[in-house]
Amino acid sequence: MLDGLYGWAFLVPLFTALSFVIVGLAGTRMRRLEWGGWVAVAFAGASMVVGVLIGIGEMVNPGTYTDVRYTWLHLAPAPGPFPNGFSLVVGTLVDPISALMLIVVTVVGFLVMLYSIGYMHQDRGLPRYYSEISLFLTAMSGLVLADNLLEFFLFWELVGVCSYFLIGFYYERPSAASAAKEAFIVTRVGDIMFLLGIFIYFYHYSTVAPGWAANGFLFTNGTAPYLGAALGGNSTTLTIAGIMILGGAAGKSAQFPLHVWLPDAMEGPTTVSALIHAATMVAAGVYLLAVTSLFLGFTSTDQLAIVGIGGFTAFFAATMAVVHPDIKRVIAYSTISQLGYMVMAVGAGFAMVGLFHLFTHAFFKALLFLAAGSVIHAVGTQDLFKMGGLRKSMRLTAVAFAVGGLALAGIPPFAGFWSKDDILSAVYSQLGSHPAYWPFFLLAFAAVFLTAYYIFRAWFLAFSGDHARDPGLAHAHEGPWTMQVPLVLLSALAIGAGLLVFLPGFQSLLLSGAGASGIPPVYGTTDLVISAASVTLGLGGIALAWLLWGNGRVYALPETSAAQPVRRLLLKRYYFKIGYDWIGAKGVYSVARAADFFDRYVIDGTVHGFERMFALLSDRLRRIQTGVVSDYAAYVVAGLIALFAILLIVAPYVVARLGGG
Amino acid sequence: MTALPLVGFLALSSALFVVGLFGILTRRNFILVLIAIEIAMNAAILNFVYFGAFSSGTGGLTGQAVAVVLIGFAATEVAVGLAIVLALNRLKGTINVAQATDLKL
Repeated sequence: MLDGLYGWAFLVPLFTALSFVIVGLAGTRMRRLEWGGWVAVAFAGASMVVGVLIGIGEMVNPGTYTDVRYTWLHLAPAPGPFPNGFSLVVGTLVDPISALMLIVVTVVGFLVMLYSIGYMHQDRGLPRYYSEISLFLTAMSGLVLADNLLEFFLFWELVGVCSYFLIGFYYERPSAASAAKEAFIVTRVGDIMFLLGIFIYFYHYSTVAPGWAANGFLFTNGTAPYLGAALGGNSTTLTIAGIMILGGAAGKSAQFPLHVWLPDAMEGPTTVSALIHAATMVAAGVYLLAVTSLFLGFTSTDQLAIVGIGGFTAFFAATMAVVHPDIKRVIAYSTISQLGYMVMAVGAGFAMVGLFHLFTHAFFKALLFLAAGSVIHAVGTQDLFKMGGLRKSMRLTAVAFAVGGLALAGIPPFAGFWSKDDILSAVYSQLGSHPAYWPFFLLAFAAVFLTAYYIFRAWFLAFSGDHARDPGLAHAHEGPWTMQVPLVLLSALAIGAGLLVFLPGFQSLLLSGAGASGIPPVYGTTDLVISAASVTLGLGGIALAWLLWGNGRVYALPETSAAQPVRRLLLKRYYFKIGYDWIGAKGVYSVARAADFFDRYVIDGTVHGFERMFALLSDRLRRIQTGVVSDYAAYVVAGLIALFAILLIVAPYVVARLGGG
Repeated sequence: MTALPLVGFLALSSALFVVGLFGILTRRNFILVLIAIEIAMNAAILNFVYFGAFSSGTGGLTGQAVAVVLIGFAATEVAVGLAIVLALNRLKGTINVAQATDLKL
């Protein structure tokens, strides 16, 4: 019944695009700036209705691939690089993974938009904010629905530029402006790799599957993935292409070593952090990996690299979250870490497991960010060490943050437990055949403990105790209803989203995507052991956080402690940012200077040299133009003599030498 | 009478042409330049006369005819040249060609 809606999937991006145009053009002319916000909320709500209906349709009737497309440009077959022709296609593809993502994007998008009305109310840039965030939702749903690699890349770049706009929303603040620039440049490194990956796939499949480019890089032929992993084989070319795709995903999803931009992206409004830098855009990298693994296929070398990057990042980012004093940045590191889990799952061959975690994570992480936003809105600071005792004045926010924290820590029955556990048991099931996964599995497992610790450290610092540590923060209060409603709804989702796996429709949606094995409820004994171990670790983390920070305590690491250098290293973010700045300032700048020198003195020098030479010559030549008729007559005579000399002396000599007649 | 060889006549007209050319290039007085042009031109006309005399048949007559026409041309040329001299004198107050440099851009 809902299948008929699949053809109308383009409405999802269209609604928000309309809102972008209306609010962008007319927003500043409305009598009150919030009206633009309500327009944007209305359109986001409309696209949420369509998106969720499509998602439900895919659950009722799982495993269908509905591709509605329009050939924008077609090159006829011709000898050369396109023996079968070449097409550029725009279209929408509704399949299990895009339906899942569509629910996430539209629901979180709508709730964040609603929350923004309360959160952003005093800001003069409201129309700009709402139009940019509408454009972002357009780009994100377009990316999710894209039915071919080139369209995907187009929207991929568009979400990147929206992220740039929104991180730099408070552009008059230098740190925000430079954070926006940093995010854009670092993800650009990944984007270039992604583009190279597309080129390599194109090159490879132009011989193996010539019809692919001819039909426009489509993901599916309508019933099943267009290209299976089997088609490509295990070639070096495909491995390189897969690594390039991983690079693109690492840039977007802030995976090691391109993770540096995400914590700095917290300079943007908290709502932007919740929507773009927690729930949707940063998940686009995972989505890209999932799409690639389902439709194009990774080689085993690629898989090891992906598992390695993901597992390492999960641990690496969690360690940095442990010491940070800024409530938003703690959550940002947590996002990087959780994205690492998803990347690891996709790399191990369980794309749907990774996407399931993406699904639950989007809700509980958006909840954490919005709760943090509620706190920041109330107290006006992000420094955890100034807060304290907020649970008394902000009961709802405290509960919401706790729910998000429990979900993140993987405590049953909260959402994060089901999906994170799935990832751990899925990767564990591969350890037998891929022993190289072991260290990364252990790192990811250890990160469970750190996750529970750092998120409850943040909770205890902000909410427990009797009073705020900074006396200026005494009169905190909850935000308006537009902020409270999303918190309640997202809390419900953070509790319930994981339990959806027991819903037959949702379960079959997950299972209908390729590479979906390992999704519960198929629990065996090993799974239960792993679950028990991870829950124990999570509870241990919470207990440690309680011991050190609970009840208003502030744990200070002794100055003489051997752990002090470690703490400094973590606070300095392993010197990655300093290192990258150094590379930028010294390395890239030297190259730029060399290029500048080459441009200025070699290229321009050649051009200017010719210019100077001709100027000099023409200056000399100019002098023979005296205006005196008899001089001209003399030149004519001289020319005549020269002509005679050539005709009578030089020409016969040349002809004789050449032997002509 | 022993006929003089053609080359002797050509040498004469060449000498005359060079004299004219020398005058064109060296004189500064426009009237002298005009006279030099006339000398050079007459050297050319002489050639027509020689070749007419040395050729057989109607070709000879043609040479003489062209020579007469060219004498007419020379007269018109002098008329134009003297008009330029007058105009130049009115404009510059001199007929020294070295001072008439308006052809320079």
